[in-house]
Amino acid sequence: MESSLDKSRSHQVYLETGGKREQDKSNVLFGFTVFLLSESMVFVSFFLTYTILRLTTINWLPPGVSGPELSTPIIINTVVLLSSSVVIYLAERALKRHNLWLFRVLWLTTSAMGAYFLAGTLREWRSLDFGLLTGLVGATFYLLTGFHGLHVSAGIFLQMLMLVRSFVPGNYNRGHYGVTAISLFWHFVDVIWVILFSLLYLWRA
Amino acid sequence: MNKILEIVLLAIGVAAIVVISYWLGQQAYSWMPPAATAEARHVDDLFSFLVALGVFVFLTVIGTIVYSIITCRTTKNDYTEGHPARGNGKLEFLWTAIPTVLVLWIAYQSYSIYQQLDIEGLGTIMDSSASLASQPALATTVIQPTSQPIEEIEVLAKQWVWTFRYPQKKIATGELHLPKNRRVRLVFQSEDVIHGFYVPEFRFKQDIIPNHTLDFTFTPLREGKYKLHDSQFSGTYFALMEADVYVDSPEAYSQWLKSTNGNTMKLNLAAAEHAQKPQQLIKSNWHAVEPYLPLVATEVKSKN
Amino acid sequence: MTINPNITSVSNSEVRQELNWKRYFSFNTDHKVIGIQYLVTTFIFFLIGGVLSMIVRGELITPKSDLVDRTLYNGLFTLHGTVMIFLWIIPSQVGLANYLIPLMIGAKDMAFPKLNAIAFWIIPFGGIFLLSSFLLPSGTAQAGWWSYPPVSIQNPSGYPINGETIWLLSIILLGISSIMGGVNFVTTIVRMRAPGMTAFRMPIFVWTVLSAQLLQLFCLPVLTGAAIMLFFDLSFGTNFFKPALGGDPVLYQHLFWFYSHPAVYVMVLPAFGVFSEIIPAFTRNPLFGYRSVAVASLGITVVSIFVWVHHMFASGTPSWMRILFMFSTMLVGVPTGIKVFAWTATIWKSKLHLDTPMLFALGGVIMFVIGGITGIMLGAVAFDLHVNNTYFVVGHFHYIVYNTITMAIFAAIYFWFPKMTGRMCHEGWGKIHFWLTFIGANLTFFPMLPLGLQGMVRRVSSYDPQYAGYNILASLGAFLLGMATLPFIANIVASWLNGARAANNPWHATGLEWTTASPPPLENFAKIPTVTLAPYSYGQPQYSTVDTSDEEALRRHGN
Repeated sequence: MESSLDKSRSHQVYLETGGKREQDKSNVLFGFTVFLLSESMVFVSFFLTYTILRLTTINWLPPGVSGPELSTPIIINTVVLLSSSVVIYLAERALKRHNLWLFRVLWLTTSAMGAYFLAGTLREWRSLDFGLLTGLVGATFYLLTGFHGLHVSAGIFLQMLMLVRSFVPGNYNRGHYGVTAISLFWHFVDVIWVILFSLLYLWRA
Repeated sequence: MNKILEIVLLAIGVAAIVVISYWLGQQAYSWMPPAATAEARHVDDLFSFLVALGVFVFLTVIGTIVYSIITCRTTKNDYTEGHPARGNGKLEFLWTAIPTVLVLWIAYQSYSIYQQLDIEGLGTIMDSSASLASQPALATTVIQPTSQPIEEIEVLAKQWVWTFRYPQKKIATGELHLPKNRRVRLVFQSEDVIHGFYVPEFRFKQDIIPNHTLDFTFTPLREGKYKLHDSQFSGTYFALMEADVYVDSPEAYSQWLKSTNGNTMKLNLAAAEHAQKPQQLIKSNWHAVEPYLPLVATEVKSKN
Repeated sequence: MTINPNITSVSNSEVRQELNWKRYFSFNTDHKVIGIQYLVTTFIFFLIGGVLSMIVRGELITPKSDLVDRTLYNGLFTLHGTVMIFLWIIPSQVGLANYLIPLMIGAKDMAFPKLNAIAFWIIPFGGIFLLSSFLLPSGTAQAGWWSYPPVSIQNPSGYPINGETIWLLSIILLGISSIMGGVNFVTTIVRMRAPGMTAFRMPIFVWTVLSAQLLQLFCLPVLTGAAIMLFFDLSFGTNFFKPALGGDPVLYQHLFWFYSHPAVYVMVLPAFGVFSEIIPAFTRNPLFGYRSVAVASLGITVVSIFVWVHHMFASGTPSWMRILFMFSTMLVGVPTGIKVFAWTATIWKSKLHLDTPMLFALGGVIMFVIGGITGIMLGAVAFDLHVNNTYFVVGHFHYIVYNTITMAIFAAIYFWFPKMTGRMCHEGWGKIHFWLTFIGANLTFFPMLPLGLQGMVRRVSSYDPQYAGYNILASLGAFLLGMATLPFIANIVASWLNGARAANNPWHATGLEWTTASPPPLENFAKIPTVTLAPYSYGQPQYSTVDTSDEEALRRHGN
């Protein structure tokens, strides 16, 4: 009978606290990985669309359009984004060693590098001689870079969130799964960029 | 003694199922519309085979279930275990292996029949005469198709009207005439959305995709009047996109080719319905794409 | 047994009674509340989808187009399909899984309760958003639930907000909800099983939900990608799928079916799971060949990813593709066959009880055999080219989605209703519901098979008079099916309010969900159980002897 009393008490507590409950935080990382694998399939569908359309279209580049071209700013942009993966890894390691300030500095550097990349993408968009409606080359280019840019923005937003939370006392008492998950997301965004970069810039007709 | 009886009953059951399956497989021919092409007969053979096999599987499984329902009922409060078997490796292997063989057999049958049809995917008009020579006739008993040139007809689909062009004669009509016992190649084109070419008696279907020229070669064998229907949903008046198809004797066909002057454009059902107020009980008055008014016949004439 | 949950469950549920109904309308994170929210919400969408289909059948009872105008008819069948698939079949089984998975694996709740609640609340809003397109001056989406371009992106009204826009946005929105659910289920099943609940001790329902959700996670994002591109084509003027401007409409078909064929298995796998739970309980036999049935679920998942082109045999696909996908399609029949044979062998030499859940399960299995055989037939390319896009296909897939899956959902509701509500359903009304549904379903969907063989094309609002006879039968059947839900609703409402009290394990079934109270307390178990037995151990004495504490409930129930 005691167990049932306990149960109704915990039930009461549950109702009073508005349904808040502890959850196994380590599940977050597992679930997030599953989500990223699933999310990558959206990119796969876009990559396949791009590849198939490009292989089957006779006039891929409409007259007067040169398509996206590999230029120094893009290479710099790529280098910045890829090296930010290293920076975020160092930030994570700093947190593991309880060096909170170094973590914050490196974490913010990662976001800044991401922001630089985004600004670079916008700059490139403005300088191009084709728009979203310029044939399939325009549609696929802006879809791919835009969707990737959206992910970079989401990553920066989440990083800011984590930065604010790092000032909450006792935030890391029960591990730092949030930081690990966002770092994972950032690596994911980088890997996507590598594929995107190869498809858009290295694949010459 | 009981065991012998059981085996005998089982044998009778299996025999009955086999007989019924075979019989329904033969009946299956009559469930289809008349077969008007050489290809249709192959498809009907395949269908008969599928029905016989399907009925056999259905009766075996359902027979077992129904037999169990009849014999295994128990009293309401008897919750004791039925029988403790959790599985049987041999049996499970069998019912994995046999269906695998069965479906592969079906796939092979279907494949070999498919090979006999000259269904081309993406159009290869250039080399199809070569492939014809290498692939001996389908229905050799009926005709010698290589002796005559292939009759080529262009099929044009537009929302919601069919137009047929006879390039050699430079005419365009709203009804399709085909010569009996001669190979015919239809070349499909669509100008707006995806349509589908489907005459049930011909037993084949081909989607017509804008900007892709697709073709299909077949041999009509049975004279008569049939109905062509659009088989891929094409918008508001989809149901009205029909045309008459005639398979004529060679004489009647050449007679028709001579006499027709392109004025056989049928009444455009979609345009006619679109022009008048909706007759239905419940009206939504949602927007519809404007039906196309065919002027092809005169166009072709003036151009040449 | 130390706990006597029978008494506590009654008192608990009395306490909770007044709180309960309000909780169902709030943002609650208890998986059991969410499960019931899903089931009730999706059932309402089922009724709406059913009304749409009955108007469609009303139009088709005569050959002429005389009930609804053509645009409305096209909108009706488009929304019927969309509502039934995205707002009934898929989410209602998510609801079942939500309720049952934590109970079956011995967990307190799902892995991410808040995410779970968000995923649920997207459903009613997404659904209402979709249906709101009926109010637009340009009407709903009218291109069928496939939404093939270019016909789906023709926009005669010229309005930037039109039915197709709303359709695409709803599909993307409901897809996000499904992905949230998928992440949640996979994490819960992989990480939150009770001690001793090894992979091969999981009930088949858990296996099938895991398989189905893995498919969702792998394939659904591709549909989302396709919907985004179609949305760009429709609203921003790009030309991914516009043939006139160099785009490729067949590519959309590939992307669409890459999800939407596996989606059929997302829908049917949990139904197989339901059959695999109910049939052993009412035959008193362990599930025959448990391991092979479990592995077959994953087998279906893997093979079904590689069969999508069989929807496109007539789309101008090259021959090699047709042949390849014909073979893979045929192979899906093998793991599916394993399941059917396992159920049949479980029924063989059993102690059969024919209560309502079992009737629905048996009816579902029998009709599934028809659906499966016609499916194999459709896989044969040469035959498919005749019946593709005809009523043969419509008949075939309704044998799956209605006569198998919806029957399984009904079976599941009757089976777990005592657990969910603490009350028994009325047997007599349940049996009436079964027979009306069974007869109605066959009357509606069987005539579609000969109609298709004769060449009646699907999605037409008028047809040649030669097809009239079978259409009248199908329409009458559809109205009967509509009526058949009335005894169900009456039974559920009356039993929920006033049914006989249910014991903890009224069916003497195995499975952890039956070891806790009916309805289960918050966090499900007084103490997380430890699993020591293989599933479906119907030989164990605790399942075969009638528990005396249950006698009261038994006496009130039925007899």
